[in-house]
Amino acid sequence: MFYFVVRRFASAVLVLFTISVTVFLIFFATPGVDPAARIAGRSASAQVLAQVAKEFGLNRPLPIRYLLMMDHLFIKQDLTSYVNIGDRVVPQITQAAPITLSLVVGAAVIWLIVGVLGGVIAAANQGKFIDPFIMFIGIAAVSVPAYWLGEVMNLLTQSKFHSSIFAWVPPPGYVSFTTSPTEWFLHLLFPWLTLAALYAGIYARVLRAELVNALNEDYIRTARAKGLSERRILFRHALRCSLISIVSLFGLDFGALIGGAALLTEVVFGLPGVGMLTYTSLQNLDLPVIMGCVMYGAFFVVLANAVVDVLYAYLDPRVRLV
Amino acid sequence: MGEVVATEEHSTIDLTGNGVTTARGPESPWRSSLRQLRRNKAAVAAFGVIVFIVTACLLAPVYAHGIAHENPFASNLNGTIRLGHKTVNVLQANTQGLGLGVTPIGPTWHFSTYFLGADSQGRDVFARLLYGGRTSLYIGFVSAVICCVVAALLGLFSGYFGGAIDWLISRLFDIVWAFPIYLLAISLSVVLLTSGINVLFIHLQPGSLFLPILIIAAVFVPYVGRPIRGLVMSLKQREFIQAAIGAGASDWRILRKEVLPNVMPSIIVFFPLMVAFNMLTESALSFLSIGVQPPAASWGTIINDGLNLLYTRPWVAMAPGIMIVITAGALNVLGDGFRDAFDPKAKLRGSI
Amino acid sequence: MAKQLVQKVFVTFGALALMSSMLVAMGTAAPAGAAFTYQSKHAGGTLHLLASTAGGTLDPQVNYTLQYWQLYQASYDGLVSFEKVSGQSSFNVVPDLAVAMPKVTNAGKTYTFKLRTGIKFSNGKTVTVKDVLASFQRIFKVSNPNAGTWYNDIVGGPACVTKPATCTLKGGVTVNATTNTIVVNLIKSDSEFLDQLAVPFGSILPASTPGKDQGDVPIPGTGAYTFSKYNPTTGLTMKRNPYFKVWSAAAQPQGYPATIEETFGETVESEVTSVENNQANWVFDPLPTDRLQQISTKYASQLHVNPLTADWYAPMNVNIAPFNNVKARQALNYAINKNDVVNLYGGTKLGQPTCTILPPGFPGYLPYCAYNSKSSSTYAGPDLAKAKALVKASGTAGDKVGVVVTNDPVNLAVGQYIQSVLNSIGYKATVKPLSANIQFTYIQNTKNKVQISVSQWYQDYPAASDFLNVLLSCANFHPASDNSINISGYCNKSISAKMQTAEALELTNAKKANAMWGSIDKEIMTTDAPWVPLFNPKLTDFVSKGTGNYQFSKQFYMYVDQLWVK
Repeated sequence: MFYFVVRRFASAVLVLFTISVTVFLIFFATPGVDPAARIAGRSASAQVLAQVAKEFGLNRPLPIRYLLMMDHLFIKQDLTSYVNIGDRVVPQITQAAPITLSLVVGAAVIWLIVGVLGGVIAAANQGKFIDPFIMFIGIAAVSVPAYWLGEVMNLLTQSKFHSSIFAWVPPPGYVSFTTSPTEWFLHLLFPWLTLAALYAGIYARVLRAELVNALNEDYIRTARAKGLSERRILFRHALRCSLISIVSLFGLDFGALIGGAALLTEVVFGLPGVGMLTYTSLQNLDLPVIMGCVMYGAFFVVLANAVVDVLYAYLDPRVRLV
Repeated sequence: MGEVVATEEHSTIDLTGNGVTTARGPESPWRSSLRQLRRNKAAVAAFGVIVFIVTACLLAPVYAHGIAHENPFASNLNGTIRLGHKTVNVLQANTQGLGLGVTPIGPTWHFSTYFLGADSQGRDVFARLLYGGRTSLYIGFVSAVICCVVAALLGLFSGYFGGAIDWLISRLFDIVWAFPIYLLAISLSVVLLTSGINVLFIHLQPGSLFLPILIIAAVFVPYVGRPIRGLVMSLKQREFIQAAIGAGASDWRILRKEVLPNVMPSIIVFFPLMVAFNMLTESALSFLSIGVQPPAASWGTIINDGLNLLYTRPWVAMAPGIMIVITAGALNVLGDGFRDAFDPKAKLRGSI
Repeated sequence: MAKQLVQKVFVTFGALALMSSMLVAMGTAAPAGAAFTYQSKHAGGTLHLLASTAGGTLDPQVNYTLQYWQLYQASYDGLVSFEKVSGQSSFNVVPDLAVAMPKVTNAGKTYTFKLRTGIKFSNGKTVTVKDVLASFQRIFKVSNPNAGTWYNDIVGGPACVTKPATCTLKGGVTVNATTNTIVVNLIKSDSEFLDQLAVPFGSILPASTPGKDQGDVPIPGTGAYTFSKYNPTTGLTMKRNPYFKVWSAAAQPQGYPATIEETFGETVESEVTSVENNQANWVFDPLPTDRLQQISTKYASQLHVNPLTADWYAPMNVNIAPFNNVKARQALNYAINKNDVVNLYGGTKLGQPTCTILPPGFPGYLPYCAYNSKSSSTYAGPDLAKAKALVKASGTAGDKVGVVVTNDPVNLAVGQYIQSVLNSIGYKATVKPLSANIQFTYIQNTKNKVQISVSQWYQDYPAASDFLNVLLSCANFHPASDNSINISGYCNKSISAKMQTAEALELTNAKKANAMWGSIDKEIMTTDAPWVPLFNPKLTDFVSKGTGNYQFSKQFYMYVDQLWVK
């Protein structure tokens, strides 16, 4: 286990390094994104641009600038934004992180429960009407664009039915759990439902397929022959091995979402999380913040995948820890 | 669980379990699978739906020029159409209240003209939907195929061979999955705008569909690849694989004959999901100017257009969304049918 | 921007224009609008403003966005400022921290101000002439965007532009603490100087403020409000300045809300809904076009529409194909239906088609329409036949054209429309959307070979040269630079010379100068047509049900601090 952790840590460093270098190169290979112009502001004169370039060290060779940026980001932790002068990147991310965490964990709980239930019910009733019905709803939810779903939610809850059914829905934004747990919950309810809707369908679909597969196995037939009830077979035997795909997907999705992949949902519902930070920094082409967000996200992707690999060994004891 | 059977040799054992023998001997497994597929009513219906959609989209020019007599790619801000006896403006200025805003015409529900109404440039949404289908189906399909094939291969190798190969491929998955695809898209869009880039010998224009197909396929490879890898890692420890290894079968043979057929059902499940995801990702990329360029249409770009009309003309965003749902749903049902028909385990079960 | 030597001209013509040339130094030429009378029963409460993103740095000597200039009205003061009234007089410059308008001597090269006493910053310190000197120096130290164009005509300015860190402005700004006077010496006379002091760049800040862009750290000011908190991701808060006492209601009136909050992060659709639900008071961003119908019918009484002195236009690059051929440019001018473009923006109530460079109501505006479907000085419509003929005659038919626009819905729609028109007259056009943060500098840089784009220009202050000289003179065309605001690259030496003449004329004969500006505008468009002028937009302000006392300034738009929440 120890070697596993050490190896994974080294892998994480390698992955972060590769991504950070690529991001850096992509940024500076893009024409028209001169950071000096960005920092100096609208219609700055050539002299002002030169001043700014000198002050921010923008004339030095690329590898030096990369190392300086990494130094400021990880070691000194005083990397500042190009667009909001003096605003530090690391505190921005630490402020935004709990919001994204609240959003993603809540949504994950919902989509896992709904997805697993849906998959199990569909597999248990294979061939009956409820099976393709659940699958269709699942596919429909997955095929819906995130931004559209969010906007429609807002249209219904804030605008159209706000005076009647949805009068209890608070305005968009975030209230922290420590300020008011009820407000925190209410503000996050519809974002949770929106985000969960986009993922529940996949999990139901994949689980159902894996379960149906597993239910055809010999060992299941043996269990049936032994006289175990269908429900027991389903939950204690078939489910365990079918969870491998689900766990893989969950690692990927959860890791990516914590790192800021839920940007459209956060933008639509006005939640100032890491996703919104990524979105704004991309629009502004604010390299330090982009770099900070990307590093943050990459870290969680690697972490989530490592955890998933550990879980494989737990779910299927024959699998060795890789 | 499969059995190590010499399925490729001719045998008088009736493996299909259907008890069908023809004059030439027992029916081949492919033939009987197809017949089983045909018997699956849902799958046949789904196939019909897909054929219908594809045909309708291919006939888009026929609709636009022959039936509706319009150019769905030219802005038509001043246009008028005849509805019954009245001539109606395609873009109507609001007259009530302070009289601000201009709203495109809503669905007319007349097949011959502006069936689903107009978008903010005054173009016929239904005609664009048909044209857009060609692009979306093309992008969605091709990128899903590339994605699933590459992911399956990488997942297979990674899960089966383990060791350094697994490490390398897993890191590749990590990097691709954590990569900021929007940054790449923004950067590419500006680069393409300025100078265009040359990949190998191909000069890429901003409107090239090659680019979004590759990007989308690459982005989702980890999503399909990692579950496959997990499955293969689990399968590898099963007795029948161990037995095959013990029997001296080569890795290639094991991969091809034992592992792949057991992983195939999962890949088939992912394929329609990927088609749906890819069509949606294409809309995000088109918004960032990679891929479908205005005035060309795809279901994704029509959704983007429709987002700005959500409060007045919701159909513009809904119609392409519904098309994506139907396509993904039909592919899903068809995929299930395929899996049921071609799954060796299912056949055996059917024989009891 | 190039140096502007146009005398500030008030907008009304005739007798008042004659008076203005004599009275500009006293700043009371146009009839003063009624200053706001304070009604204390409406004081108090929190004003909630919404903007989708932050506006950049909070430093008033660096920030060049309308979003924060609107807030600086209430929080900072210069020696002079624009009059805080509604209507035409809001273009007037009135004394603010100065006791009266300055004495102008030495043929317009020396301005003498006397500083008011007893005014305190929000940190409790009294304003002294030292602070005034430091603020002038600071303009250069923080590399103000216009340091090299507006303020370099102060003696010592050019040296400050090259070496900002050691800026002293010796001989340029001299202060005397005993007499409380400030003397500013210019290298040459510039009657836009007072306008340039009245914008937030000319704010007087404490001398202790560091000479670096302060970013998100609020700087104490003398206004009725002071910034207490700023987080570029979540929002900003302004509270009443505890040391503020009204010294001139025309320059800095008392404000009503106890607290002003501007929150960021919501989408524009969501912001509009919040205002509809009375959860917030006002939206800064332009209203989405699909909400206009709902707002203008159901919430008509909460919507205010005001004309702007601004242009939406499509500059064409006159140095590369196909628009280096004047016939091609004229063809596009004939082909585009400006009424259609207005409809994309939101309809005829929100925009007015224009054929001229100067907006209506501007000094020097001369109504004419060179490219029209019928001969008239008001726009009647396009003439596609003529357009197609011109394209053929130019020999550029079949050329590929790329229209570079920003990624937001309206600009993108206008871009798609222009693409469609270009295709219909014989070109092969594509639309190239870019993020708003990149597009503005991208279209200025000749290295990017942009053929045509869609852009907007809002006045800094009402002076014809702010449009004509800035946007179309040879001096403002800098090849291969991100800062070349003459986007079309238009350089006509004789026109530029005429512009110089008009500027010089402003000092002595404003009426004749205006007539000259008008004819320059007409000549540029008729002979060379480097642009397709599209329309003059109007500004929409949507306030909530619980918000009262909407007041509008032509210079800084809605008065944020005059809104009632009680």
